[in-house]
Amino acid sequence: MPGWVEILIRSLSLLIALFFITKMLGKKQMSQLDIFQYITGIVIGSIVATHVTDLTTQFEYSLIALSVWFLVPLGLEYIALKSKRVRDFTQGKGTVFIQNGKIMEENLKKERYTTDDLLEELRNNNIYQAADVEFAVLEPTGKVNVLPKKENQPLTVKDIGLKPAPEKEPQTVVMDGNPLLEPLSNASLNINWLETELDKMDISIENVFLGQVDSDGQLTLDLYDDKIAVPGPSEKPLLLATMKKSQADLELFALASENQETKNMYEKNSQKMQEAIDKVSPYL
Amino acid sequence: MTVGSQVKGCFSSVKSVEATLLSLENKTQNPEARECFHEVQSIISDIKTDLEKQVIYLSQQEPQYKN
Repeated sequence: MPGWVEILIRSLSLLIALFFITKMLGKKQMSQLDIFQYITGIVIGSIVATHVTDLTTQFEYSLIALSVWFLVPLGLEYIALKSKRVRDFTQGKGTVFIQNGKIMEENLKKERYTTDDLLEELRNNNIYQAADVEFAVLEPTGKVNVLPKKENQPLTVKDIGLKPAPEKEPQTVVMDGNPLLEPLSNASLNINWLETELDKMDISIENVFLGQVDSDGQLTLDLYDDKIAVPGPSEKPLLLATMKKSQADLELFALASENQETKNMYEKNSQKMQEAIDKVSPYL
Repeated sequence: MTVGSQVKGCFSSVKSVEATLLSLENKTQNPEARECFHEVQSIISDIKTDLEKQVIYLSQQEPQYKN
């Protein structure tokens, strides 16, 4: 067999093997490399590289080596799932760099992080002053995660004491001009509903690049033809406007009415309407 | 516009609010939102009943504008 044919065969078969090995080792391998996965990645790569280009080696040996380097890390990961001690050993533990706002110089030294390195990592987290940090930890994967002090954390809805309406994930119901039936039924809607909504806006489905439905059944669209203006969902804003208008009308009637009993009736209902607006407005 | 027709206009707005709330209640996937829409609907329905009485009363008071 000529050398180039052998290289072709070796390359292709190892490519396939490598693809499946990486796939089986999982997504974790791609996202966060701890010590063990780092070694595994390098070694598997060099095993393949050596055996593909060096024709003096035995091809079978590459498969044996590959399976060892595939099975041992995989097995260790399963053991690590069960045992905290194994996990700490193979994946390593995080090192605390800043605790209670104080920098732990000993830990920095242990990880051979200079002050500049620490500041750089803090800047990566958008923090420019070390005094703003409550807690920072070097993860086993080499990333530094930072908890800013409470006053330096971004404002959340909870902080201002509001109760937001819960929101579920939206469903994508039209892609590239084709309706998607499964997401539609997830939103307990059907194709007739979609057609009616599109008819209301006078848009044909072939022109829709992307269409999504939120958890309240409001449809938003993006068209291929960007010159056409798409009306946004108007049902909720219109409802709120109508409610506010009715409330104002009721107040006006209460002022205009001379009969005390009628006046009271209008006032009571205007208050009720206000209450209804307050209740429903977070959801609109 | 007479008082009667103004109240009638308000009455129909309230009716439309109730109907929109009902359709939103049926469309939403969110149990909390559904409950809220339902509660508000019953408030609106009370207002509607009161206004309806007033519309009838006014149409008796202003029979020349009754249509």
